[in-house]
Amino acid sequence: MTTSAAPQAMVARGSLPAHGRGRAKRGALKRSQRIAGYLFVLPTLVLFLAFVGWPILRAIYLSLTQWSGFGAARFIGGANYLRMIADPVAQHAFLVTLIFTAVTTVVQTVVGLVLAVLVNGVWNKVGVVVRTILFIPGIVSFVVSGVLWTLIYDPNIGTLNRFLGAVGLESLQHAWLADHSTALACVIIVSIWGAVGMSMLIIFAGIQGIDPGLYEAAEVDGAGLWQRFRHITVPGLQPVLGIVISLGLLNGFKVFDIIYVMTQGGPNHATEVFGTYLYKMAFGTTSGGLPQLGYASAFSVVVMIMCILAVIAQMALTRRNDE
Amino acid sequence: MTALTATTTPVRPLTPATPRRRHFPVGKTVVSFVLLPFCVVMIFPFIWMVLTSIRDQNTVFGGSFIPTSINFHGYATAWTSIGFPLHFWNSLWITTVTVLGVSLLAALSGYAFAKLDFPLKNVLYLLLLTTLMMPATALIIPLYLELKAFGLLDNQLGLLILYISSSAPFSMFLMRAFFETLPDALVEAARVDGAGELRIFWQVLLPLARPGIATVVIFQFLQTWNEFLMANTILQNPDRLPLQPVLFSLMGQYATDWPALTAGLTLSIIPVVVVYVRMQNQFVAGMTLGAVK
Amino acid sequence: MDHHLPSVAGTPLPRRSLLKAALGGAAALGASSVLAACGGNNSPSSSGSGSGGNAGGNPATVRLWTWYGEQKDEFPKLIDAFQAKYPNIKVENRLFGTPDQYLPVLQAAVAGGDVPEIFAPHTRALSYGTGGVSADLKKDLGDSFLTDFFDSANQEYTLDGKQYAIGWMAQTFGLFYNPDLMSKAGVDAASLQTWDDLIGAAPKFKAAGTSGVALSCSPTTSSFDFFLPLLTQISDDPTFFLRLDKQDGLTWEDPTVVKAIELTKRIVDAGVFQPGTTGTSGNQVEQIFYTQKSAMLFNGSWTPQGLIQSAPKDFVKKFKVMKNPALAAGKKHWTANQAGAGLAVSETSKNKDAALTFLKFIYDPQMYSQTMNNSNSMPSTKSAAAKITNAFMKEMTSWLLQGEGCPHIPFGNGTVAAGDPLSQIFEGKGQPADVAKQMQAAVKTAGG
Repeated sequence: MTTSAAPQAMVARGSLPAHGRGRAKRGALKRSQRIAGYLFVLPTLVLFLAFVGWPILRAIYLSLTQWSGFGAARFIGGANYLRMIADPVAQHAFLVTLIFTAVTTVVQTVVGLVLAVLVNGVWNKVGVVVRTILFIPGIVSFVVSGVLWTLIYDPNIGTLNRFLGAVGLESLQHAWLADHSTALACVIIVSIWGAVGMSMLIIFAGIQGIDPGLYEAAEVDGAGLWQRFRHITVPGLQPVLGIVISLGLLNGFKVFDIIYVMTQGGPNHATEVFGTYLYKMAFGTTSGGLPQLGYASAFSVVVMIMCILAVIAQMALTRRNDE
Repeated sequence: MTALTATTTPVRPLTPATPRRRHFPVGKTVVSFVLLPFCVVMIFPFIWMVLTSIRDQNTVFGGSFIPTSINFHGYATAWTSIGFPLHFWNSLWITTVTVLGVSLLAALSGYAFAKLDFPLKNVLYLLLLTTLMMPATALIIPLYLELKAFGLLDNQLGLLILYISSSAPFSMFLMRAFFETLPDALVEAARVDGAGELRIFWQVLLPLARPGIATVVIFQFLQTWNEFLMANTILQNPDRLPLQPVLFSLMGQYATDWPALTAGLTLSIIPVVVVYVRMQNQFVAGMTLGAVK
Repeated sequence: MDHHLPSVAGTPLPRRSLLKAALGGAAALGASSVLAACGGNNSPSSSGSGSGGNAGGNPATVRLWTWYGEQKDEFPKLIDAFQAKYPNIKVENRLFGTPDQYLPVLQAAVAGGDVPEIFAPHTRALSYGTGGVSADLKKDLGDSFLTDFFDSANQEYTLDGKQYAIGWMAQTFGLFYNPDLMSKAGVDAASLQTWDDLIGAAPKFKAAGTSGVALSCSPTTSSFDFFLPLLTQISDDPTFFLRLDKQDGLTWEDPTVVKAIELTKRIVDAGVFQPGTTGTSGNQVEQIFYTQKSAMLFNGSWTPQGLIQSAPKDFVKKFKVMKNPALAAGKKHWTANQAGAGLAVSETSKNKDAALTFLKFIYDPQMYSQTMNNSNSMPSTKSAAAKITNAFMKEMTSWLLQGEGCPHIPFGNGTVAAGDPLSQIFEGKGQPADVAKQMQAAVKTAGG
């Protein structure tokens, strides 16, 4: 028999131990948990420290130097950060990064949620096909997506303008990626296009974990579609939505490939984000013959700080909602 | 008793046990109206891609959308001129081993963070998450220098270790969330039964996290299969390269052989789609309850 | 009545055995592949076994890293011929797609102290030279080897009496045109000698429903290809940009620069170019030309090779090329020699001598001329220039020989950043004096 109060409560088998024995047993249990905890995490942790943590520390150190990639790195303390604060391009890139991240995260999550719910309601066999089609944009790297969409956005021979012309909407034709007013929006759309399948998939997997019995019970009680969604689906998806939002934020702050391939941060920095700017400083020709790896690393540290803050904020919010 | 309100398609996970409800055809039509145009937008660039791969190089731009004459020169070029089979195989085994390694590590550590209690848990979690927080372009030179110090440069094993180390935290992130949706009571009851922690993980919880593992497998396969920067930089001998760096070399600065490039891309997508579709079988609703009832 | 938990002591769940089998299989697969990888690492491509690697002496490996896709079919032939003659030297050719795919890899190798034996230096040529990364080829190859190259190609890579790279492919820029569209618009190509002529012709192109000149301004370095020669035209001084690049007594606020911006603005505002130049990439601009959306194309001498590959066959037969317009009748056109496709040699590699041997081999006048002709590319040596077979290359190279060439490569710190404010002009916005100020500020900011 199951209780319906706690959705997935179980009746334990076997008899409960007496109190005295219980405490000792609980102590031993706690200890074996601790050992297991550390052991389970150990391999991941060791690999992380060696091959991720150390390079990150090195990058942080580089941000305090001036280095062209050969010869010795010259220690200059916080000069790179001061320079960043005064750099008008960096300021603009900060703004664009924030806008990009906010818009992509919100839209990806919401659309992903809607799609997951819709797909969940479509009948079985077609479901896999639809899910695959919706996921396909995410199957290629953003470099490939960028190349494909740049061709679509091409003002002269691209499909979008040709389509607009064919249906008589010439007035809407733009030089999409060359026009300040449309470039950022176009890039954002492509980013969402590529990422929404992933959001949908994660949320869809999360929906599978929700007890169907809850929906049945709710239907019996007369709850409508929206109420079931609001009171069962959304709360049940909390940890998963948290993931999707976190990923959106992290990927947004770090974004590089999609923007660089489509606009290189142009025209005139209209789509410049931290990711593209730091690439240009490190590997591009902007700094002429001398790469500026120190300055570029400073940007990566700032991105990292932004990501840490975002994750902490998201974790705090989730904890608050649990209480 | 309130009467059942007429509804559009109910939001309901797919459970074979639940009897089918009759719903109005309106529901399906509405869903189709929303989903169909969406699907078209989603795959349009790929339709272009596949069409381009089967046409002449001279008709890629300026020709009609549907090619008037079809040939497979692009596929022939892609297959022969860049050593497609070799690099495809490199990608395949490197990705497979990475996925398996990452899945194991992510499941273990994700479970630990979700279900076990130990000091400094949150600190360690946040620490591991910093993996996701730095742009790859900023890390590539430090990574290169690191592998050089270990003597693992120009070595596929080195690339593997790098992939697993840098990918495990993300998958751990996913697995933790999935394990969190599973009831603590299961773990506690198994403890009461006297099972060791490893056993509880391996025999009780892990089988129930199928959707989570399937998601991890999909994402990890995808991410590793498409990875470019690290493979391109760490491996020097062209024979050791996986597929992506080699495919991208078809993209010239001024001129690109579009049919060959799109043909190569089309071929390279196939394994990912296969993995995706196979993993879909794992998304069965009520898995957690089904096993428990 | 009791509900059973999945028994921990009971039958193993199918999932578990599947996982076990999968892991076992993968482990075997992985192990064998790992062993293969370890075994495959025996060929020491990086650490360079043997000292010096002299021809005919100890075995050596020479790595050749470029993105010069024009020679993708030629390099293997050269390498085969070379290895037949020097069986002890193995040449490893790595052809990247674009500089963006190439530069992080090169820089990582340089940072790790393991520079490939022969590499494309890009704009790093001089700084790697003075930094001790690339070798002084004046010393290593000798003056007699270098005299055959165009002067501008040598000068570009020379600093303080040392030359740190040699030209592989030269480049000039020109105005390609489509005779059919030109006659449709009623414009005679020969009449377009000056910018004023071009501005005057703009309305005719519009009336014929086509763009005048297709121009790529994305990335901003491409807009420099158009803009920088104007500086040389206005100042009539081939050293002007060299000094501006280094901010050597000149800044971007100089009156010459402002005049060049004004001229550019006049050209843009007259509607000479296609809409959206700042969003048009190198790939796309050629497409515009051969899909007949523009009558002309301002582009570099790599264009004919690209058109042969991608354009419809009847188009390839008919397009032509002419010099970009001059400031006034009789003045120089300064078609710009961007010998940006060069080759540098690693100073620190143990296989340096083998690398020099390979270089001398591929620059052998017979070999080099053949390579350049087969790939429809513009050679950097005078002897090969005399033997060009492709009509376009012949025409465009003759401009260099007439003294119209002048290097316009932004080597200097932050110079490229000036292209960003300049893009406003191409969008039809901004005031020249103001834009000049912004360009100078941008260069200062990026230069650090």
